[in-house]
Formats: sequence, structure tokens, C-alpha cells
Amino acid sequence: MTVPALQISNLAKRFGGLAATRNVSLTVMPGERRLLIGPNGAGKTTLFNQIAGDFLPDSGSIRLFGEDMTRLPTPTRVKMGLGRTYQVLTLFPHDTLVHNVALALLGSEGGGWVAFGALASQRERLARAMEALEDVGLGHAAYRRVSETSYGERRRLELAMALAQKPKVLLLDEPLAGLSADERETVRALLERIPRDVTIILIEHDMDVALAFADRITLLHFGEVILEGTRAEVIADPRTREVYLGS
Amino acid sequence: MTGRVWLGWALVILALVAIPVVISSSFYLGIVTHALILAILALSLNVLIGHAGMTSLGHAVYLGIPAYAVAWLSTQAGWGPIQSIIVAMVLGTATSAFFGILALRASGLGFLMITLALGQVMWGIAYRWVDLTGGDNGIRLDHRPVLLGFDFTGAVPFYGLVATALVVALFCLWQLDRSPYGACLRGTRDQPRRMRMLGHDVWRIRYLAFITSGFWGSVAGVLYCYDYTYVSPQALSLPQSAEALLMVVLGGAGTLAGPVLGAIIITVIKTVVSSYVDRWYSLLGLTFIVVVMLMPRGIVPGVRAWVGGRRA
Repeated sequence: MTVPALQISNLAKRFGGLAATRNVSLTVMPGERRLLIGPNGAGKTTLFNQIAGDFLPDSGSIRLFGEDMTRLPTPTRVKMGLGRTYQVLTLFPHDTLVHNVALALLGSEGGGWVAFGALASQRERLARAMEALEDVGLGHAAYRRVSETSYGERRRLELAMALAQKPKVLLLDEPLAGLSADERETVRALLERIPRDVTIILIEHDMDVALAFADRITLLHFGEVILEGTRAEVIADPRTREVYLGS
Repeated sequence: MTGRVWLGWALVILALVAIPVVISSSFYLGIVTHALILAILALSLNVLIGHAGMTSLGHAVYLGIPAYAVAWLSTQAGWGPIQSIIVAMVLGTATSAFFGILALRASGLGFLMITLALGQVMWGIAYRWVDLTGGDNGIRLDHRPVLLGFDFTGAVPFYGLVATALVVALFCLWQLDRSPYGACLRGTRDQPRRMRMLGHDVWRIRYLAFITSGFWGSVAGVLYCYDYTYVSPQALSLPQSAEALLMVVLGGAGTLAGPVLGAIIITVIKTVVSSYVDRWYSLLGLTFIVVVMLMPRGIVPGVRAWVGGRRA
């Protein structure tokens, strides 16, 4: 029997009187493209935050390829194969693009404790960082500072940093947010090119792209999974229209 | 290293070598020596403020504890200077390792308040534990050290020792700045959450910075004690911590030259200008206000931006 890439069981998190997630259970199989949808405040990003370890759930469990990571710190989860991009860009604006990716490589491979010798002289690491940038079409801008790049380029840099770490499970939080039509197409094509050995869980409001991309869809509402199924099943279900798509 | 970097280092060393040739007065050479010791202290604090983004108001602890240790071990325990210096350095660095565990439980204002509290506790101990520290009278050394056959009792040799320590500190901290660890440290300053999600242990990165800062602060502390051949609770006081903070902010946090420049400016105002101006504290405050208004990120980044703007 295939071990799920990500298995979430009865995950619950409250912030005071507000239940951010209520007994969420989710099973994502290896290689699957899972789309999380739901109205604003449904708990999608909060669920991502719990998977990433930004905060611990009150109850329930999270397993990555069968290994319990519910209480593990974020860096350990990353070393187990979890990757993530953020809805709000979180990059290192004073550094070059290639150094941003190099930081990602230092995080997954180690080597961040070396305090003598320049990072700029680590040619092998920088070559791999450059490769990751070229994969997302940013090779030409590798030595520009992040602050000198466009928003679309920064979105692609986020992807490059996450992919450079060779994650097994990748959480993508609205990777198309704020992009122009051309940039959306570029990022969509990049997402399509990610190999199937990377399992992807996607939050995205661009339904044209997201529905075409997803194998299965989970609908969240008020922190609860109210529906899960294939594209056709979820779109056909009246609850989707009621809580998310509108009439 | 590029030719420009070599040239920069050569100019720094040349300037330091030229100072005792140009300044023949041992009084003024003493002021320069003191400024360079405080420059090492400011550089050590800069690791926390500039690179790690953590503002400390208790950094005088790492100046005072090694200074007291050297003075006490030399005078009360009768140890030789090398043993005293080694133990003082270990003690200062170990203190930072312990205080780091406490202070890094918080960040931002909480971190600042914990470092302030720890600094005040150590100042209180130095002030009140008279049997150990001599209380308000402090501990007086007989003379500066003779190390490995080199006599550092005179103004010029002692200046040479301090200048060498400064160059070593500058080189090590320059290496740190451009190293993978330096990049990680700045990463924890700018995007700690993202750094965690990239697999970095943010707490450990900051903790190592705290210890590194304590180590270089201890170097300054040992030299400080030999400079004055005296140590009192003043070395551990809040004004001493605040002064170090001011040096970093004035010169430019996160730069190598900034804390050195800040230390020189403040030492000159404090020791030279104060001979001519009664209200020199007001002058110091005014200088700070003017710099912050004109160059909010400090003198070195401000001048760099101005020069960059003119070239563009």
C-alpha cells in the first residue's frame, strides 16, 4: 500500500474563541496536485502554517510520508522534504537573487555555520543556485538585488528557492497572486513543469489555472473540510457554489 | 580578494602604523588607544545590532566582566598576565553563552529589556560585592602586561597591541560578514520566518552571534582593563552600554567601518572636546540628532548613499 505524501488527521487549532481549523483531515498521495479552495478566512493559510510548523495544532497529527512531524520544528520538517512559498513575498531584499537561492541551499544541505571564506567563492553551490534560477527563467537577473527586480520576478524567485531544496511535498500559497496575465502564464507553465515526484498542495484563487492544475480539490469553510473530490465532483457540488464560487 | 580590497586593508594598516609616528604626545596617543579599544567593543556589538538585528542595552557586561577578571586574577590571585587574560576571555565568552540563553527567549523590545536587566544585575554585583570587586573603588593594577617577553607597559607598545587586536577583529568580522554564516545571520535579521522555512535553525544562528559578540567584547574588556590599569563598576554601567550602542548607530550598523568611526567620534567628543566645552554631553546629543536626521542609517551608509547618488 502506498504511503501518503501528507496525511493530516483531525487537526484543530483555536485562537481564543476563534476556531481556525476544526478537525481537518486530509490525505494527499505522492505526486498528487491538490488544490485547497475556500473563501477568505476559511483557514487555508492557517492550515499551511500548521503543516509548516509556524504554530502547533491544539490536537490532531501531521505525517509526511508516514513520519509524524506534528511537534517537530520547522527546520526539521524542511529536512524531511517539506517546502513552501508564501502568499506575501518573503525574500531577502538586500541580497542578489543567486544569494537568495544559495541561502535556500544552505538551509537544506547545511554549511551555514562556516564563518570564514566568502559565500561568493563557493562556486559549486552558486552554480546550483544559478541552475535553479535558470529553471524559472531568471538566470539573466542572478546578480541583481531582489529590490531591483519586478514583482513577477520575485514570485518566480520564491519558486526557485523552494524548488532548489528539492522538496518532496511543496506548499504553494497563491503563487499567481498579483501577477499580470503574461506573468501568470509564465508561472503556470513553470508549475506544470514541476516533476511528479514533487507532491504539490496549492492555494490559488485563479480558478482557470488552479482547476486545470489540480487532480483533487478540498473545499474549506470556517476551518472545516466540507467537501473533497475530483475536479468534476467539486465543481458539480452545490456547496462549492454556495460557499465559494457564488451563484 | 580583489585589488581594491587589498588596497583597503593596506590603507587601514598604514594608517594605524602612522598614528604613533604622527602623534608624539603620549596623552593623545592614549586617547587614540582608548578609542580603538572602544571600536573593538562597538564592532562586537555590531554583530548583534547590524548583522543579527538584535539591539542590546547590556553589552558593557562583556567589557566589564573580563576587565574585572583580569584585574582580580592579576592582583588578588597573583596569576601571570597570560593565564589571567585567557581565563578572563573564557569567562567573558561563557557569560555571553549563558546570558544568550536567557536573552534569546525574546526578540525586539523584550530582548533589549532582558539585556538591560542582565547588565544592571552585573553592575549591581560589581557595585555591591565589595569584597570581590572593591565596590565603588574598583580594582587597580600595578602596570600593563609583559607578554611573551614583549613589554607593553609603554604607550606606544600598548597602542601597537591594541591596533593589532583591532586589525584581527576587523579581519575576522569581515570574514564573518561575507561568509555563509554571515549571509544566514542577515537572513535571520531580515526574514526569520522564511529562514526557518528554508531549514535554518534561527535560534542557534542568533545564539552563535551572541557568543561571537561576547567574545570580541571580552577582547575589548581585557584591553580596557590594561589601558586604564583600573576597573570600576563604570565599566559595567548602563551609560557604557548606551555609549557602545550610540557608537554603532552613529557610525552605521551593519558596516565594518561604521562602529570604528562611531567609537572615534564619541571618544574625541568625550575626551578632547570636553576639555573645551562644559556641556559636552549636550554636544554629543546634538551630534547624534544631526547625524540621525541627515543620515538615518548612520554616517558610513549615509556617505556611501551620497557618493553613490552623485556618481549616478
